[in-house]
Amino acid sequence: MVEKKQTKPFARKFVPKIIKAALLLIITYLPFYFLSVFIEPYQSFFPWYAPTTDLFAAVFMIFLVAGVFTSGTIYQYVFGVARALVTMIFSIYVLNGGIVDLVVPIEGASVNIMVDLTVILAMIVLICLLGIGKNVVQAIDFVSTKGEDKEL
Amino acid sequence: MRYAVRALGWATKILWILIIVFSVTSVYSAMNVRMSLGQPQAFVSSEFILISVPLFVNNAGLYDLSEINMTVAVMDYQQSVLSTSTTFVPLIPRGGNLETTHNVSMSLEDGTSKLLDYLFNDSVFILDMSLKLNFAHSVPFRVSTNMSVPWGAPLYNFSIGQVSYNFLNLTHQEAIIPVSFENHSPYFSVDGVMRVEIFNDNGELFGFSMSDLNVPSHSSYIGQTEIAVDVSRVTGGGEVHFYFETSAFSAGPVVIPYG
Repeated sequence: MVEKKQTKPFARKFVPKIIKAALLLIITYLPFYFLSVFIEPYQSFFPWYAPTTDLFAAVFMIFLVAGVFTSGTIYQYVFGVARALVTMIFSIYVLNGGIVDLVVPIEGASVNIMVDLTVILAMIVLICLLGIGKNVVQAIDFVSTKGEDKEL
Repeated sequence: MRYAVRALGWATKILWILIIVFSVTSVYSAMNVRMSLGQPQAFVSSEFILISVPLFVNNAGLYDLSEINMTVAVMDYQQSVLSTSTTFVPLIPRGGNLETTHNVSMSLEDGTSKLLDYLFNDSVFILDMSLKLNFAHSVPFRVSTNMSVPWGAPLYNFSIGQVSYNFLNLTHQEAIIPVSFENHSPYFSVDGVMRVEIFNDNGELFGFSMSDLNVPSHSSYIGQTEIAVDVSRVTGGGEVHFYFETSAFSAGPVVIPYG
């Protein structure tokens, strides 16, 4: 009986979190998967893409899962900030600071392609900063609410 | 505080959606832009060589293409710049087409020797091409390449054979000058008139003639020019001057000694 009572809150607490984490992992993994499928024919032009993206996806998902499992604590927001930071750094690195420069061999001649994605990178950085801001505000709100609860 | 968090959350979501939609539609649009170059046309005069390249762009994408700037720099085999030409198109709206001609003009003002060099000797031009445009008014894009274009001389290996004389009458003879060359040019045929003037050792003009030429690309010409000359002025040696007036180029005099 005692064992049953202990198992129930554990299951109640963690099973929804596991399901939520699994769902979020699937939803997060899908864009990476489709992007990889799209990039695959051009893999030789982006040799750095696959290892970088795999590393980013792994780190991002670890923070995502950690965020889900630490929800209800201050660490949830810490992981949220970390996720936004990782996304920002990855975007800046992959987009080479906004200037993507490629050399594509076509019929014996090498063709240089340069795309200036500064505007898109600026928007991604802005989104990440908004995400960091949001997490910080949520963390402050969380701490102040907790403080009020303790005073009461 | 809650409202601020909610507003930030919505702003983040909306911006992510905007970026994803823009990225996907941009890739789709870029894949629907068709660009092609037509058959180049060449024209050679005593002052310049003009190469016209038709350019076709079909923007079947979802975004405008603006500030299209095509630049071609032509260098000779010694890497010295012969010409730089630019074609600028302010805008190709989505769903629009563009048909224009990019003209590459090479000045030959610094001497006819360059023209003669290109007329008589095969060469290689190095083209440094770049195309810049603004995609959706927000994403600058540049593509550039370097390529070698072989130049085929229209009067390659131009030479004359032994000048011989046929008896006409007591005062005049017919000078026969064998002429041969190969038209290596892939761009134009040598069709027009060749004027031939024959000079003796004293530099006196003692006969001339006009011949029609019609030598297609990648074919040889072997012919002869007959000139009625004054017997009293024939010295057995001298110079032959050739002048060319064709649909593609004008050149002359090309001086070849004989005898």
